Amino acid sequence: MRIVTVALCVLAAGGAGIGCQPSPRALPARPDSARLPGQTDDVFTTARPSLAVAVNDFLVRRPVPVQPIEFPHDVHAGRRIACDEYCHEGVSTQAVAGLPSLRTCMICHNTIATDRPRIQSMTAMRAAGRDLAWQRVFDYPPSSHVRFNHAPHIRTGIECSTCHGDIAGQTVARRNVALTMGFCVTCHDQQQASVDCQSCHY
Amino acid sequence: MTPPLVTTSVQEEDTTEMPKWGMAVDLDACTGCGACVTACHAENNISTVGAEQAARGRAKHWIRVERYWEGSFPDVRLRFQPVMCQQCDSAPCEPVCPTYASHHTEDGLNAQVYNRCIGTRYCANACPYNTRFFDFFNPAWDKPLHLQLNPDVSLREVGVMEKCTFCVQRIRAGTIAAKADARELKDGDITTACVQTCPAHALVFGDLSDPDSRVSQMARAARGTALLGDLGTQPNVTYLQRQTP
Repeated sequence: MRIVTVALCVLAAGGAGIGCQPSPRALPARPDSARLPGQTDDVFTTARPSLAVAVNDFLVRRPVPVQPIEFPHDVHAGRRIACDEYCHEGVSTQAVAGLPSLRTCMICHNTIATDRPRIQSMTAMRAAGRDLAWQRVFDYPPSSHVRFNHAPHIRTGIECSTCHGDIAGQTVARRNVALTMGFCVTCHDQQQASVDCQSCHY
Repeated sequence: MTPPLVTTSVQEEDTTEMPKWGMAVDLDACTGCGACVTACHAENNISTVGAEQAARGRAKHWIRVERYWEGSFPDVRLRFQPVMCQQCDSAPCEPVCPTYASHHTEDGLNAQVYNRCIGTRYCANACPYNTRFFDFFNPAWDKPLHLQLNPDVSLREVGVMEKCTFCVQRIRAGTIAAKADARELKDGDITTACVQTCPAHALVFGDLSDPDSRVSQMARAARGTALLGDLGTQPNVTYLQRQTP
């Protein structure tokens, strides 16, 4: 057993980062009421639960995000609604682009297209006090240690489509641009922006 | 030849001088309360390893308060000295890194790039201040403590080296905010977690390239000294020696 543990630790140190944690602390068992809704595990850790997860992380193989509703970006962009006008607010002033709550959808859809079944289901969701659990499409894996800030990029006039591709032509957003470090550094070089590691990795 | 990704001319000539970040510690003011240590842990997502591993020297504190007993009983005095990464201009940890994970940035910071680090630990051995820490384990937090983690700072996995960054996330955020308002950074715009928290104002952070900044004035003070200055590491942290006996 000890050999297995050591082997796992060696693997982990080699970059895979699988289940290597300090020796278990003798903590008293916590009552279920101390858990958050939906919480299944008592410990949050960067350790990967299995070798398969570690391999997928290493090869940047990620599952396609499943959205709560099939949001048609093309229809909304076709109506000339700017990305940051209602839905992705804060993108020009903050680090992270916002994701719209159901309330934001209902600003327009209280009156627009109320006969569509999808809109009616959203109205029902709001009546039930539920919200949309959007999944991020373009985030970085934690192991990349990238801290991206939207605001300075938007301010310098870079179009959303430069990094996010033709979202306006898609229904559900898909990751169709590979946001690799080469992609970022090429642009930073052309714009004479800093290419110091610690501009982005910290 | 790839076409330019952006066609508009966005970069104007940057006339501002690159800052050089530094810190000053007034040992007369430090009471050794340890608030800086707590603030640093909270700001930078520094995990704890438990008592057993800490006893093996695997605890991580990007800033620590050293205690020195002086004199003999009954006339003893306790002195405190907060020690963090000295962000040396001539840092011994940098040339020994085989992967350039430890390197110097343009604004005078001694940076540690976790992506590049392969965990040789040469840098920690080279550092005369013992301010570099190796992650022997993946960090773990009992839920729901993980909700207090700072989203602006990475979680370091097992096998990499970590150290005080002078709260680089705050430096980047402050610089971006100043640019957004089209103004120059002024003294006090950016402050690190330990400096912000120090109740005695013993710690001061700022730009050493600005001669009028508080940290520059303190660095020029007559009682300013560098920690282990004779090693020639040229630290960017100045310690103001005690005046009181």
